[in-house]
Parts: sequence; C-alpha cells; structure tokens
Amino acid sequence: MGFDEDLLRELIDAGIAVGASYVEVRYQNDHGISVSMRNGRVMGVGSVREEGVGVRVLINGSLGFAATNDLSRDGLMNALEKAVSRARATASLRRNAITFAEERVGRASYEVVPKSRLEDIHVEDLTSLGKEAYGELLKTVSQVKLPVCVFSAETHMQEKLIMTSEGAYVRSRIPRIYVSLNLVLLHQQRGTLQRMKEFASSGGGELLKEWKPVDVVSEEVKNLEVVLLKGVEPPKDPVDVVVGSEIIGLLVHESAGHPMEADRILGREAAQAGESYVKPEMIGKYRIGNELATVIEDPTIPGSNGFYLYDDEGVPARPRYLYKEGIINEALHNRHTASIFGVKSNAAARAMNYASEPIIRMSNTYLKPGNMSFEELIDDVGLGVFIKSYMEWNIDDIRWNQRYVGLEAYLIRNGELAEPVRNPVLEITTQGFYSNIVAVDKELKFYPGTCGKGEPSQGVPVWFGGPDVRISKIRLGVIA
Amino acid sequence: MTGTIELGREVVNKLRASYDNVAVLIKTRDRVMVKLWNTEPSVTQSWITTEVSLLLTKSKRVLILEFSVGRPEEILKAVEKISSVVERVEESELYAPLPEPQEVKLVEGSFDAKVIDAMRDPGKLTKLMIDAALSEGAERVAGTLTLSNDERVLVTSKGFENSERRTLVEAYLRAFKKEFSGQWAHGSTHVNEKEIEEVGRKAGLYASITSNKADLQPGKYDVVLSPLVVGNLMNYVSFMSSALAVLMGYSMFMKFRPGDKIASEKLTLVDTPRDPTLPNVASFDDEGVPTYDKPIIEDGVFHNLLHNSGTATKLGVKSTGNAGWVMPNPWNLRMKPGELREEELVSELRNGVIITNNWYTRLQNYVEGTFSTVARDAALLVKNGEVVGNVGRVRIATSFPQLLNNIEEMTRQTYDIMWWEVRTPTRAPYVLARNVNLTKPYI
Repeated sequence: MGFDEDLLRELIDAGIAVGASYVEVRYQNDHGISVSMRNGRVMGVGSVREEGVGVRVLINGSLGFAATNDLSRDGLMNALEKAVSRARATASLRRNAITFAEERVGRASYEVVPKSRLEDIHVEDLTSLGKEAYGELLKTVSQVKLPVCVFSAETHMQEKLIMTSEGAYVRSRIPRIYVSLNLVLLHQQRGTLQRMKEFASSGGGELLKEWKPVDVVSEEVKNLEVVLLKGVEPPKDPVDVVVGSEIIGLLVHESAGHPMEADRILGREAAQAGESYVKPEMIGKYRIGNELATVIEDPTIPGSNGFYLYDDEGVPARPRYLYKEGIINEALHNRHTASIFGVKSNAAARAMNYASEPIIRMSNTYLKPGNMSFEELIDDVGLGVFIKSYMEWNIDDIRWNQRYVGLEAYLIRNGELAEPVRNPVLEITTQGFYSNIVAVDKELKFYPGTCGKGEPSQGVPVWFGGPDVRISKIRLGVIA
Repeated sequence: MTGTIELGREVVNKLRASYDNVAVLIKTRDRVMVKLWNTEPSVTQSWITTEVSLLLTKSKRVLILEFSVGRPEEILKAVEKISSVVERVEESELYAPLPEPQEVKLVEGSFDAKVIDAMRDPGKLTKLMIDAALSEGAERVAGTLTLSNDERVLVTSKGFENSERRTLVEAYLRAFKKEFSGQWAHGSTHVNEKEIEEVGRKAGLYASITSNKADLQPGKYDVVLSPLVVGNLMNYVSFMSSALAVLMGYSMFMKFRPGDKIASEKLTLVDTPRDPTLPNVASFDDEGVPTYDKPIIEDGVFHNLLHNSGTATKLGVKSTGNAGWVMPNPWNLRMKPGELREEELVSELRNGVIITNNWYTRLQNYVEGTFSTVARDAALLVKNGEVVGNVGRVRIATSFPQLLNNIEEMTRQTYDIMWWEVRTPTRAPYVLARNVNLTKPYI
C-alpha cells in the first residue's frame, strides 16, 4: 500500500488549522478481478480499482465528510475545504452539537495472510470453476431442465490507512473472495424454482477448494429438483417449525443486528433504512425473547467475511452481545452514538470504500448454539416443517414484522424428515420469534451477505449464522 | 470538459493498436448531500471524483476495467497489468463490435446553473423542505437533499467522441408525528423551490392525516399505491426488462414475448432517456448509440426488452440505446397517466387501503415474478371513501403479473420520484389496483 502518509498528516494539520476539533483521514484502496458466466460460457471479465481518500471533520459541532480520488496535494486540500465549508454552510440548521466519545484509539498494522495469495488467482481459475459447476449441475438434474446457471466470482483486496487528529493510526489489508450461483430449475407442468447461492470469506485462493462449491450446489440442486417435482403445501394449522441455520443467520441479522444499531435507534437512518423498535431506555432491561435468545456480533472471527480488528474510527474491535438470554443487552456504537448514550464505542464504524462515510455496521452476527444434535431437535415433533433455505425475505423499517419464504423445505413426521414442502411462508414478529424458541442445536454455521445501509447506500461484507432452531406452534403461510 | 475528452482520447489512442475495440467512459462529479435526522443535519457529504471505465475487446474476448483514478498514466499502467488476461479468457457469448458512430442530437436543457449556486449553500433548500413539513404539523423530520454537477464523456476506437453535462436535485423527506409518519420524494435536473417545498408538505400531510390506528386482517384488498410505491415496483419491472436480466434468469419476461398482453390496458411504461428534466437524461448510451424513448409495456402489451449491442446481437435484434456495457439499463421511467384526480381515485377505491410508501421489495422467483414488499409510513384504511385510520406496516405479497393485470385506474397528475428505494427516476401517478393480497404476522 503505497501512499504518502506525510500528505495525510498535512491534511489533518490543515483541518485543525481552520478550526476543526477532529479530523479523520482514510486512504482506501479496493481492488480485484471478476468473472461472470452464463451456462458455462464467459460473459465478461472485469477488474475494479477504487482508490481515494475520505476526510471527515467535526467543526463547531457540525460533521462534514468529503471524498476524492484526486490524490494530489491540491486535490486533497480541495476535498478538505469542501468538507469544512459545506459543513459550515448547513450549521444554521443544527440544533445540537455533534460530539464524539473519548476513546483509546489504536496504533496498529494488521493483515490477513491467506494460504494462497489473491494475486495468484487467475481468471482461468475462476472460469474453470464456473464451467465445472455448470457441467456437474447438468449431470445432477434428471426430470427438470436447468435453463439458467449464472456463475459469478470475484477477488477483493481491501487496503486502508486511517489516521486521526487524536492519534489513531491503523493500517490494514484484508483479502476476500466471493462466489455466487443463480439457478433456475424448470419443469413444464410444475413451473420454475430459483436459487441464489453465495460463498464469501476473508482469505485467499484456498477458499475455492475449502468451500467445495460444486459439491455443495450439486447436492442442493438434487434436493430442489425433488421439491419442485413433489413439493406439497405446508400444513394450514399451527405446527412446530424448525428453522434452518441459513434462515436463522439472516433472521438475527435483520431482527437483532439492525435494530441494535445505535444510529438507527436514534433516527439517523430514519428516511432510508428506517428506525428501530428498540428505544434507548429498553437497553439492559427489555425482554425480547426467552433464555435461548442470545445474539452475538463479533468482527474478530478469523476467516470471517466481516473481519476487522479496528474500526474505521480507529477503535479496537471486540465481540458484542446484542441480546443476552432474551434481554436487549448492548447496541452497536460508533464514537458519536456512544457519546449520546454515555458509553464507550464498541467499534462498529465501517466504510464501504474511500467515498463512503464510516457508519455503524454489523460484521458477523449469530445466534448462540446449544448442545443437541439436529436429530434430537426434531425427535419429538409429531407434525412439523423444516425450512432449510430461502429466497424471498423482508422486514419492516423498525425491524419487527418479517417474512422468510422457504425454498428447500420438508414436512417432519414423527421425528423424521418426510416429503418436501413448496414455498412455506414464515411471517413473524421479532418478539414472536425470540419468545417461541423451544430448542437450538449445536451446529453453528455461517452464511455470507452484503449488508446495505446509508446514503448513498453502502454494501459491506458480513457473515450471519446460527444453529437450527425449533419454534413452537407457528401458522405458516403459502405464496398466494 | 475538453480536458476530460482529451484524457479519453489519449487512453484510446494508446490502446487501439493492442485491441479490436476500445471504449473509455469518464464520469466526473461534484456532489453535495445534506443528510437530516431529528430535524437537523447529521452530516454534510461531498464527493469530488473522476471514474474511468474501459471496455477492451480482442478476438471476441471482453474485458471491462473500472478505475476511480483520473490520471492516464495510472490507467495505462493498470491496463498493462491485466492485458495478459485477455489472451487467456474465452470468447464472450455477449461479444459484439462497438457500433459505428451515428449522429447524436444532444438533449438540451439538462443543466441548471441554479443547482451550482445552490451547492454553495445547500442549507437554504433543505430548510424549505423542513419548514413545509413542520407547517403541516410534523414533529420531526429526516431525509436528504442532494445537489450534483456531473459530466459524462465517451470516446471509442470507432471514432465516437461526445460529452454531456447534467445537474441533479434529489430531495426526500420523512416526517413524523407521534407514532405516525409520511414520506415524499422528488428528483429533477433543475431546482424548483415549489417542488422541494412540496416534498416537505406531502410528507407532513401524510404524517398528520390520521391519528387513529386501524386493524387489518390478512386477505385480498383493493389498494391505491402512491407514486413512491409505483416507482419502486416499476424499477423492478424495468430491471427485469433488461435483456441481460432475461438471459440471467432475473426476469419474468423469460416467460413472455413482445406482443404478449401482460398487464392491464391502463399500464404504459416508457423508458425515457431524452426528457431533460429527469435526472438520468442521456443523449447517447455507453456504446455511443443515440438514445430514444421506447415503451417497455404499452397499453398492457409487452413491447421491448432493453438492449446493448451484445444482448441485441445475441438475440438477433437492434440495440435500443440502453448500454451498459454488460447490463442494459433503463434511463428514466415514465408512466402514462390516467384521467382521475387523486380524490376521485380514492372515491373509486371506496373501501380498501392507500399505501403511500414501501420498502424492501424482494422476489421469491424472478421468472414467476412472485414478490413481497413492506408498507411504511401512512398505510391508510379507507371505508366508504373516507380515511378511517392507519393499518401500519402491512405487506403486499403477490406477483408482478397479477398486480399489473389488476391495475384499474390512475391519476392524471404524475410526480417525478427519486429516493433511496427508487434509483431509476420515475414519473408516476397514483394507481388503483383491485384484489391485492395483503399480509401481516399472526404472532
């Protein structure tokens, strides 16, 4: 990562000289290659490099941010000037001064060192994987057609250097790989079924082998073919539902992670991704679920997609318990919200690229697993439904009312998986879910995602996960 | 401006000997965004950026490079690094040579000097929006005002060279009154103080329109969808009308052919790049093909997929001037308005729900078009033509073919909508649709 640190220091000094009480500069370089293929044939090969500097200033209680990719001294000073002058221009609308909590910020340099470097991954490594996937999937389907198999893969190196007027100096280098498949299964009489499957982690070329993406997707397609051909409607009466770890991961991201973002609780995202059912006075007191409802947010998990050791304000990262044994426990904070809540930041500030302001984001969010096996989890279910995967989902803007539509799903009869179920709909409130957990198994699995938030919208890499979870007496819907 | 074209020309000239086709697209931007929370700015953001994209083809192999750097030497260095790749990749199934340059008639009137003035003091326009909402009874507001001065330059090895400028005003506001809220949005290339005030006024109005909560049981209802909702849903329809979305399995148009009736005859949806007032105005696409207005759906009949040269060649048709080098995209959307006034539409609804805003639209299956989306802000229960309360965050759960066929009426007035959930600017009316499935959780 070659960037003139003296120039960044000069920028900080210039910001302080014009009256800013805080200046933060972040050089960020995101780069990688990508391939996209359709039915085993290449559509395009791409290369992306986003390199620039984002500068944030706190000046007379107003916050200004400016980003530029003109990395000359003049270019950077111009960005600083815009950040300062435009923050000043809107100061007359301000009612309360913005302040940051006092923090011990880091001076550190860290790097994820993969077994196999991103630089050693060649385009043909990715295209051969795409071809292999399509070839295997064609062999996998028997009674249905596979009209569409879109394969995408990309490498992503993220390099950051964060320096602040309060002495933070954090240099990091994190490689990631992302692979996705979009599949359409078609049967003349039974219609279509669609599956989007993603793989993503921090690391290098070794991941392409470790994930075994071709085997994993082939196995799924084999099952999905049966769902398409033989899937029945879910039971109409309330039944026990076993929600698979893939949906649990998404569910805790949506209904525990997002509502526990302190900026959302305070209304900073009100006109975009919305607010939260959580109010400040509920933290540490309000019961949202039973004792099995513990949701953890941890940026420090090695190999994770949301991995970091210091956030983009230079604060050291640590695990956070969002819900603890059913009680709303700890919100995600940056230095600004920490100041309002009278607590310390827990290092949740992240920026997608140089052109993005650091805002409160999740990293890796999961429901705490239990001790039992999956077989034990379903052992005494007389009639129920196991929903393993999903396509459609959404949640309201206060993170209360949510919906997940199952893709691979099965009836449970007398403790065993039985015939497939097509498109079961789990529509439930946050409290309804966390209060009705009967049991959780011990299989903690993580799934990747790109979480969107902010304006302009920033997509950041995350993991979300959990065990398989049994909830009691739920009335499932079906797609109308 | 000349400097940017020269940068493009220099890059093309340096690379034309090594590739069959070279295109350089350069986008420069000076943008400011005031973001509001609790009736005051949370941050004022600025961007001063140059983004350079390169399309390189050789022996039908396609490489696309994107840089956020403006220095030609950096670009050429990066191209050199990746140049060996082109020898090793396979032919693209979406390869087509860049088109020969055609005469482009530049759209006039897409640049407003008042936007540049307003960028020096974005607080003024922001205050207009805030005050209008508060005067309608709102207790607090959140939202954004964005002003931008953008230039887009395209140079190709076929000899195409052109550039155009546009300005942007995007304003949206969410107003709160106790537990209720309302939202409105506006997007244009021009500053119009009245329109910006209207954003605040309508947001405040919807936040204050009722202080009653109403219950709603899941089931089929007649609904009026506001231009914000219609804009969001038409963004999905237009995305699915991209020929690449069809090829990639992300489209209900996989099941239809041009000429098929797919919607109510009331629905006409047009891709409209050449309206100088709509923010994504463009005279030429990313391959230099002149843009033109075209219906995606006309009187309920599916008319056009959107194409670039690659998808057009693959499917044996002509480009529609919607490149996107890989993905053809709509520019702006315009719907044909109806004949009713807003109050007449509510009278037509008689009994049902007015959904004024939505978010988080997701599909279970693009081929079937099955989706759901969640209401936010005012979702108003109407009985005998009168608003009786707010039903809260209910969900529309249906399919696009069903919904589009159930459209019955529209208003004659349209609104130019652009906000976080409507990224392709859309000129949309209020729409009345019958028999729409609404859901909510049992527990």
